[in-house]
Amino acid sequence: MRPIRISTLLFRRIHKWVGLILGLQFLLWTVSGAVMALIDHHDVSGEHLGHPPQVAPWPEQALSPSDLSARLGTEIVGFTFRPMLGQHVYEVATPNGIRVLDENGRPFVVDAAVAKAIASADYAGKAAVARVSLLSKPILETRDHDEPLWRVDFADNGDTSFYVSQATGKVVERRDDSYRLWDFFWMLHNMDYVERKSFNHPLIIMVAFGVLWLSGTGFYLLFKSFKRSDFRWIPGVLPRSPSDRLPAE
Amino acid sequence: MAARLPLLARRLHKWLALVVGLQALIWTLSGMYMVAVHIDYIHGDHLVRAPDERPFDTTGLLAPTAVTTGLESVQSVRLTRLLDTPAYVVETELGPQLFDAEAGKKLTIDEPIVRELARRRMAQDRDIVKIELIEKSPLEVQGRKPPLWRVDFEGWDKPAFYYSPVTGELLSRRHEAWRVFDFMWMLHIMDYDDRQNMNNWLLRPMTWLVALMAFTGAWLLWWSFPKSKRKKASA
Repeated sequence: MRPIRISTLLFRRIHKWVGLILGLQFLLWTVSGAVMALIDHHDVSGEHLGHPPQVAPWPEQALSPSDLSARLGTEIVGFTFRPMLGQHVYEVATPNGIRVLDENGRPFVVDAAVAKAIASADYAGKAAVARVSLLSKPILETRDHDEPLWRVDFADNGDTSFYVSQATGKVVERRDDSYRLWDFFWMLHNMDYVERKSFNHPLIIMVAFGVLWLSGTGFYLLFKSFKRSDFRWIPGVLPRSPSDRLPAE
Repeated sequence: MAARLPLLARRLHKWLALVVGLQALIWTLSGMYMVAVHIDYIHGDHLVRAPDERPFDTTGLLAPTAVTTGLESVQSVRLTRLLDTPAYVVETELGPQLFDAEAGKKLTIDEPIVRELARRRMAQDRDIVKIELIEKSPLEVQGRKPPLWRVDFEGWDKPAFYYSPVTGELLSRRHEAWRVFDFMWMLHIMDYDDRQNMNNWLLRPMTWLVALMAFTGAWLLWWSFPKSKRKKASA
């Protein structure tokens, strides 16, 4: 076997072989990046789909932390007294999870009808609710939330879905088709084809390392692939050999 | 005509590469950093302890409405702790305020309190080198409205904790790996001002040009391997 010589030819070989093996992923990165740059990120975030946080008249009186603790029969590690459908609720953190009480200290239950009312109050559009269903496990578009969620679908052009926490009544996600389209290309970009969540997994690290060789050798080859004559169309760039110099000025 | 196709593909590939080649190199380098350094580390999870979640001794704690008399447009009240003092964060339309949940007095966050908050929250054995009330938010906390307490810790990665001077909450934590990530992110999305807009009009044409370059490169592969070998492979 002959010793490998560091030469332009070697760089060309690396470039074409890495291109053959990993070029498809490089192409997918460029296309998915281009599509994600096109889709407006405000649309993807879903923030325009909802209203600013709701307000309700501030009450004169409220339950004290001892009252809350007594009613729940447990210690509390904190709570938030916040507006909910025209009244205020106590969202209480306990050592055994979140409990929610209404203004009168009764358990605040988020059933299908309440979830529908919460989502409708938050929804900035005009379409009606098409259906309400309960998700006990996260789906792709609610992957950051482990708790049971009500899915409230609206009959609009963007197939908007709001997700309301069954435990707290909070709207935790607002999704529509811009998000879903963006998220598909995000999956192609981060190569986490199952969960679409991580961009720090071994597959992407290995491919990224390989593709560095593609771009690195490609960049080097740029300096080897152009002749002076390639730039003759630029005013002021003259060919080196006197024989093909332009007519005298 | 058929014989000229390889030449056309090659010319397109090299001229497109002349335009976007440097950026393609920057994309792969910045992408490499972002995939190789874990995002939890970038977020500084290793620098902070979990927040204090001991149950409250509720005897003597006021009702949330007891601290809001006289306040305009109150939105919500949250029971929390400032060091060991039970406290209410009152959210109003004009911003938050902090009250002692037992005495009902308004609380202020001074330097010794910030120092103690930061000392307890830092998960590693690091000394504080500087505490400063900053009036202008630096780029690394551009989403936060000043003023902010900034606490700098010793060490090669220069950790900084940012606290709200109103509520005493830890708003942001930064360190050198985050700052490098943010710089890489800027290079990746080509938004050199705010580092936030990934729909900008430099990125959009550049991404399509690099896609075209990748496509012409794939096209060139067709002629890049000797014919005999290609026949053998397909046989």
